[in-house]
Amino acid sequence: MQSVTLPASLDEAVAALGAMPAAVPVAGGTDLMSAVNKGLLRPSGLVGLGRISELRGWHYQDGHALLGAGLTHARMGRPDFAALIPALAASARAAGPPQIRNAGTLGGNIATAAPTGDALPVLAALEAELVIAGTGGSRREIPVSHLLAGREMLEPAELIGFVRVPLLHAPQVFLKATGRTGPGRATASVAIVLDPARRGVRCAVGAIAPMPLRPLEAERWIASLIDWDGERGLAPDALAAFGEYVAAACIPDQAPPDDGGEAPPLSPAVLHLRRTVAALARRALGRALS
Amino acid sequence: MTSDAATATSTTHTTTPPPEGPDPDQGLPAHGLGASLPPADARAKTEGTFPYAADLWAEGLLWAAVLRSPHPHARILSIDTTAAAGMPGVRAVVTHEDIPGDGSYGRRVVDRPVFASELVRHHGEAIAAVAADHPDTARLAAAAIAVEYEVLEPVTDPEKAFAAEPLHPDGNLIRHIPLRYGDPDTVGEVIVEGLYRIGRQDPAPIGAEAGLAVPRPDGGVELYTASTDPHTDRDLAAACFGLAPERVKVVVTGVPGATGDREDPGFQIPLGLLALRTGCPVKLAATREESFLGHAHRHPTLLRYRHHADAEGRLVKVEAQILLDAGAYADSSSESLAAAVAFACGPYVVPHAFIEGWAVRTNNPPSGHVRGEGAMQVCAAYEGQMDKLAAKLGIDPVELRLRNALSTGDILPTSQTVTCPAPVAELLGALRGFPLPALPKDVPEDDWLLPGGPEGAGEPGAVRRGVGYALGMVHMLGAEGADEVSTATVRIHDGVATVICAAVETGQGFTTLARQIVQETLGVEEVHVAAVDTDQPPAGPATHGRHTWVSGGAIERAAKMVRTQLLQPLAHKFGMSTELLQIADGKITSYDGVLSTTVMEAMDGKELWATAQCRPHPTEPLDESGQGDAFVGLAFCAVRAVVDVDIELGSVRVVEMAVAQDVGRILNPSQLATRIEAGVTQGIGAALTENLRTARGLIRHPDLTGYALPTSLDAPDIHIVKLIEERDVVAPFGAKPASAVPVVTSPAAVASAVRAATGRPVNRLPIRPQAAVATPKA
Repeated sequence: MQSVTLPASLDEAVAALGAMPAAVPVAGGTDLMSAVNKGLLRPSGLVGLGRISELRGWHYQDGHALLGAGLTHARMGRPDFAALIPALAASARAAGPPQIRNAGTLGGNIATAAPTGDALPVLAALEAELVIAGTGGSRREIPVSHLLAGREMLEPAELIGFVRVPLLHAPQVFLKATGRTGPGRATASVAIVLDPARRGVRCAVGAIAPMPLRPLEAERWIASLIDWDGERGLAPDALAAFGEYVAAACIPDQAPPDDGGEAPPLSPAVLHLRRTVAALARRALGRALS
Repeated sequence: MTSDAATATSTTHTTTPPPEGPDPDQGLPAHGLGASLPPADARAKTEGTFPYAADLWAEGLLWAAVLRSPHPHARILSIDTTAAAGMPGVRAVVTHEDIPGDGSYGRRVVDRPVFASELVRHHGEAIAAVAADHPDTARLAAAAIAVEYEVLEPVTDPEKAFAAEPLHPDGNLIRHIPLRYGDPDTVGEVIVEGLYRIGRQDPAPIGAEAGLAVPRPDGGVELYTASTDPHTDRDLAAACFGLAPERVKVVVTGVPGATGDREDPGFQIPLGLLALRTGCPVKLAATREESFLGHAHRHPTLLRYRHHADAEGRLVKVEAQILLDAGAYADSSSESLAAAVAFACGPYVVPHAFIEGWAVRTNNPPSGHVRGEGAMQVCAAYEGQMDKLAAKLGIDPVELRLRNALSTGDILPTSQTVTCPAPVAELLGALRGFPLPALPKDVPEDDWLLPGGPEGAGEPGAVRRGVGYALGMVHMLGAEGADEVSTATVRIHDGVATVICAAVETGQGFTTLARQIVQETLGVEEVHVAAVDTDQPPAGPATHGRHTWVSGGAIERAAKMVRTQLLQPLAHKFGMSTELLQIADGKITSYDGVLSTTVMEAMDGKELWATAQCRPHPTEPLDESGQGDAFVGLAFCAVRAVVDVDIELGSVRVVEMAVAQDVGRILNPSQLATRIEAGVTQGIGAALTENLRTARGLIRHPDLTGYALPTSLDAPDIHIVKLIEERDVVAPFGAKPASAVPVVTSPAAVASAVRAATGRPVNRLPIRPQAAVATPKA
């Protein structure tokens, strides 16, 4: 390791990265340092983002919260944050053991873009925008889904500065299925966000594909069934049908072969995953509407 | 045998669950046998100041790195070390060509190359090692060694190993035991069949392998490592170094967790070679990934069973086929297979048994000794069969087990008579009467912990509760003619006693027990246990609970010899035998109270030493039909598991485990409880999450995120309902080792409970979520 710099502001950090193109930014280090320790990555320099206090909190901007990329999972899990963005708080509380939550950050979760990243389906459902800081104090905004899908990339010497999330003032739920009772990687996760102003339900499914999946048709269909001005509740059958719809959209049946024969069946493990997604989506919507 | 163990007594000890129950330590002595003496190193371990092998340091040390095979099966065409050797900072590179002595080793069968030369037989097999002045340099240099492979098709299905091309000159069949007992033509009125699969549990020691090798001026070498069998490791290493064993010394450092063999010689031998080569101290600290790749795992096992019973549920005949996947090398597979075959019917009376067992070689990760080897896999299967039989006959599963329970005097399918206490029915009976935990609906909502964890996806409406029972058994000490012997020395001077015994403290609490034994015999409070190295006489491996028995026995004898030396002059002076004198709390008194003096006075500034051995009665190998008195002793356990299953997601949470165990005699109540709780938790891991997955012979996710150990949220309330103290007359103190049998029995109990909750067959461990989903009953 040649050098470690600890800039005090976002623009200083961008400048440091510009001056040393081979350097790697590090925030909580929960993913980066394990790759270094495994010998997978040998950065010639590090730009530590831990002292940039502007990234460690949030502020409000016309109906949105501008979340600093350096917000830790532990901070997002606290009740004041949960009152603002309940699903993001729930995903932060579910993300690993306390040691990881104390160090790992929102920006790091996005930059690592692991399929099992717990914040990612929530950000996808919230249709969050990333505020990217570039050289000379420039800022540009890209949807989080564009970055996760690789439609837009970070340029050299760019950093995720903030995450713009709408404040919807409505129920949100994040649920994940794991292999054990203690903290573990998600086998599947579902985020449900209600947007009463736009009379919309937004849903994203995490951990089953390289990036969160949005079942748009299922969202529109279920939103049309909800009585937005009344009780909002749905019959159990409708909730179950929504779960099936989401699961079938995210884990489709195999395509039939070209010769027109029977489509090959899904393997038992994939069928179980589909059942899991259906149950999570049904339960999540049920909790959001209850 | 020790004289005081010759009288069998039978008492029972019951604890009720805290916090309602009385303090279990109330009225117990502060030291000596039966006391809850805390471990001497507890504080240092808790505070993180206890030194383990990874903390060792020597002036001018070099760092080692090992190059491991990325393929499970490949022919090595060439190895070119020039680039690596030429890197700045690299001091030595060693391959199979640089081994001065034997190129192969093996703790039980010598079949494993130190460095692969022509073939690699498993993912992660060592090919070369590097010593450099910085750990990163060593790692980079190891990566710079150019190895040309011809990749071969791996044999990863143990069923295909029989017909496959030999993977090793010794062939693919490591051992076959065809056990035949009774009449093959007997048929029961009721027959149940089952196929069971047990996964690959990893011992997952919390501290990965590490060691330091220091060359000696005489051309020998000292290995500082967390070995659990230092003398065997020394002999293996010396043979590879081409040195006499006396010139190699293994010094045992702090052991960071050992539920299987630790510090495989595959780590120690390259280290020693590099130290001998460079003349410098060399340190190796394995990464977590290397640890998973390098050490031995529990045997993945495939079991096919057919149980015959009469209409009342009494077992008539058991037929089974047991296939152990040994991985690439033999290691302890032969011994694991013997245990699997001998205990294939479990702690039940079975008049006719026909068990075929095989251990075969594959290109999967190597299997070896992990606590409860062999016995754990068959327990999950025979208990699954008992549940099936109970369901078929409509008999309560506990009642069915009681009707068949083994007891002292019964005969095992190996024709060995059970001579030790075998209170199997009593154990199960104790569990049956123990109250069940409250249902979620009966406790406040805030205290619910549903499957999936706090704030998880669990939904009360989808949760079903299940209760399951299992009985299990293990053997104690080495089996089949293994020479079980331990030597111990006890010294007393200035009122302080010292124990020298090469039995390794692996965290099992042996040093605490050693102190208690000496306190009991010599009446002194302060007892030190010396650190272990191979200059001491051998005490054997820290496996199968042997140190409680064999090393504990040796220490007691040595302490008794010191006692006699101490009391002889007094006894002579007062004209009475030493038996009439008592030592307690540092005072010596005669039976009639006439004599009273202190130990210090009696010592008169002298220093007393004695050395003794303990060697239990010999055993014999199983013969060609699986018959023989192969085991020194047996231990039994009954477990009741209570689980909650989210039947839509298939997530399982163990709510409570209740244990009743046959312990012979309680030597240290709190330590015993800890051993049982640890064993149960390891068993829960094997039942639910612990499986080191492979894909075509390659280990997937060799890290502690991918390999999920139970966390504090996964470990349930563990109630020790009953400890049966029926002394084993042949064991020193009458005590039975306690760590292994809960590991063996718990997975079967969890599987049984999940079966009860879901109605699914549950024939595979660990239980996958898709095997625990069920359609809710209307």
